[in-house]
Amino acid sequence: MADKIITGIPVATGIAIGKAFFVNRNHKAHLPRQTIAASLVPEEIGRLHDAFATVESELSATREQVPAELKDYGLLIDTHILMLKDPKLSGTAADYIKNLGLNAAWALEKAVSDQEAVFGAINDPYIRERMQDVRVVADKVQAKLIGRETDLTAISGRAIIMAHDLTPADTVELKIDKIMGFATVRGGKTSHTGIMARSLGIPALVGVDKLEDSVSDGDLVVIDGLTGKIVVNPTEAELEDYNERAAFFETYTRKIKRRCQLPAETFDGSRVQVLANIELVEEVASVLDNGGEGIGLYRTEYAYLNRTDLPTEEELTEKYIDLAAIMSPRKVVFRTLDLGADKFISAYGELNETNPAMGLRAIRFCLKNPQLFKTQLRAILRASVYGNVSLMFPMISGVKEVRQAKAWLAQAKAELRREGVEYDQNMPVGIMIELPAAVMIAEFLAQEVDFFSIGTNDLIQYSIGVDRTNHHVSYLYQPLHPATLRAIKLVVDAAHQAGIEVSLCGEVASDPFCVPILLGMGIDSISLTPQAIPGIKRIIRQTNMHDCRKLLKNVLECRTVSRINNLVMDNIFKHFPEEVSFFTSLLENDESPS
Amino acid sequence: MTENNQTMSTDSMDIQSRQVVVANEHGLHARPAGKLAQQAQAFVAEILIINDEQEVDAKSILDVLTLAAGPGDVLEIRASGSDAVEAADSLQTLFKNRFEE
Repeated sequence: MADKIITGIPVATGIAIGKAFFVNRNHKAHLPRQTIAASLVPEEIGRLHDAFATVESELSATREQVPAELKDYGLLIDTHILMLKDPKLSGTAADYIKNLGLNAAWALEKAVSDQEAVFGAINDPYIRERMQDVRVVADKVQAKLIGRETDLTAISGRAIIMAHDLTPADTVELKIDKIMGFATVRGGKTSHTGIMARSLGIPALVGVDKLEDSVSDGDLVVIDGLTGKIVVNPTEAELEDYNERAAFFETYTRKIKRRCQLPAETFDGSRVQVLANIELVEEVASVLDNGGEGIGLYRTEYAYLNRTDLPTEEELTEKYIDLAAIMSPRKVVFRTLDLGADKFISAYGELNETNPAMGLRAIRFCLKNPQLFKTQLRAILRASVYGNVSLMFPMISGVKEVRQAKAWLAQAKAELRREGVEYDQNMPVGIMIELPAAVMIAEFLAQEVDFFSIGTNDLIQYSIGVDRTNHHVSYLYQPLHPATLRAIKLVVDAAHQAGIEVSLCGEVASDPFCVPILLGMGIDSISLTPQAIPGIKRIIRQTNMHDCRKLLKNVLECRTVSRINNLVMDNIFKHFPEEVSFFTSLLENDESPS
Repeated sequence: MTENNQTMSTDSMDIQSRQVVVANEHGLHARPAGKLAQQAQAFVAEILIINDEQEVDAKSILDVLTLAAGPGDVLEIRASGSDAVEAADSLQTLFKNRFEE
């Protein structure tokens, strides 16, 4: 058996084998503490200043490479550089070397402790947290002093990067050609680590709680982005097994990738549009590369996060135009701001809601802050001149909300017209269907808009009344719950009755097990994470509509989730044995407490 | 603002004093504190930032942060040395412009 097997949340698929390298690790634990002879003091002080100077010049070099869109991280590096230059840190440490005869690394640790005492007494939590920045720069200097730094430029062979957390700024420093995978303690499904790993086509796990305790620098590790496992120091047999699995997976991926540009058309000639969900404009390359026929969901929140001010109309417009222009003539669906609940917008402060999931978020938040809303609407309209832009409002609960949102859109249009700014007058406007209320009145809502997009992640949570991140009840999160399936069907039928298109975004769309049912419903398009597109297109191209409809009919007659899951699994086992061996389906957590 | 600008004569050099108000929304957080320290470092004068309780070195970002000065707080800039006038004026302007935020 391997030394240890630990688990995390897979955010990028694949299997990688390599040596563990930690970045951003705290050096405090193994810091050498020695006293030095008086004669060596000047030399030790020299070493200290050299280490500060080296880190400063490295940071300055990194600073120059920070792309303009990561402005905030650039400013963070500026702060770090100023801290390095600060006599309070280097000067105090030098005094400790001179007066107490401590070695440089220990002297610096004492200087940091002094600062900790001062900062710890401050009431303002924001200022108190800046101590973390002092810690970060001190770690870098100590790493230089004790020669224990993980010099990423010197990595030979295959490295798996491990960290407590990876920020976009950290990743600027990484030389990516030798990196085989990522694992972090922090981060969720949409973290930067995942986005980056997917764009590099390497596996990544986040939320690996035991990472720092279980893995040491230089350990041989297998990171399995299919099942979410990290195997530490595997045995020969395990290693062989994983090598084989990795090779199989690579062959399979290559096979499906070769055909990913073919249309998603079933045997019997039904076409479904396969679109991509993205968060950053940079992901476009991966969308096109994986055969995405457009962007079905552009999450626009990223530009608003990690900053204290709000993005300007010019800033947003520039970004949006980039996206529309690159994708043209393929369509791009912009979802207006979906902030609130789990996300947090610094400019407005915390809302202190007892139940944020049902609180002031998404369209509710925008209607309460029309200035912010209109700025975004104007930016989207300005990008619509490319003729391929659609817009949708999230979390709609009723007809009045749609009309209010559309009224702001009309006002934004009128303003632009007055100013002589061009936009697409026929830009399609849709809504997300993610609340049970919207499902029940789908036939009314369909009269108000040009298309629907069903957001299944939220719809499942709201209709079953379950928070999937809550361990106690997450077993109830069942994508194929009879209620969910009926809800989706009701919405699709209402849309088609009214002659509008209906799309589906959410994890269900990237689950090979679930897709045949969606096809059976007659969905017009699905939108999913770019990397899952080749696999899903393959499934679609190898099924026929007749079978999908039959499967749906059978499924709709089932009264329990487990019965439905069994039917769906049978179907996949019969037609797609390869997929079964590689993909963990959403359906597998069918364990209820008995 | 002239009533706030004082020049005190001491034995060998002039001490320049300016009263300033923290006008930016989040107070003297990392970015403004950094700007202040950076700008102060450009002068040879010794520059202190003073509130009711403590006086700190303007050239140290860590010191400036520990003031934990919030919006509306009144501080004194006290500079001494050959370019004290320029130093005090320049930092005063920085406060007035809300650190260009």
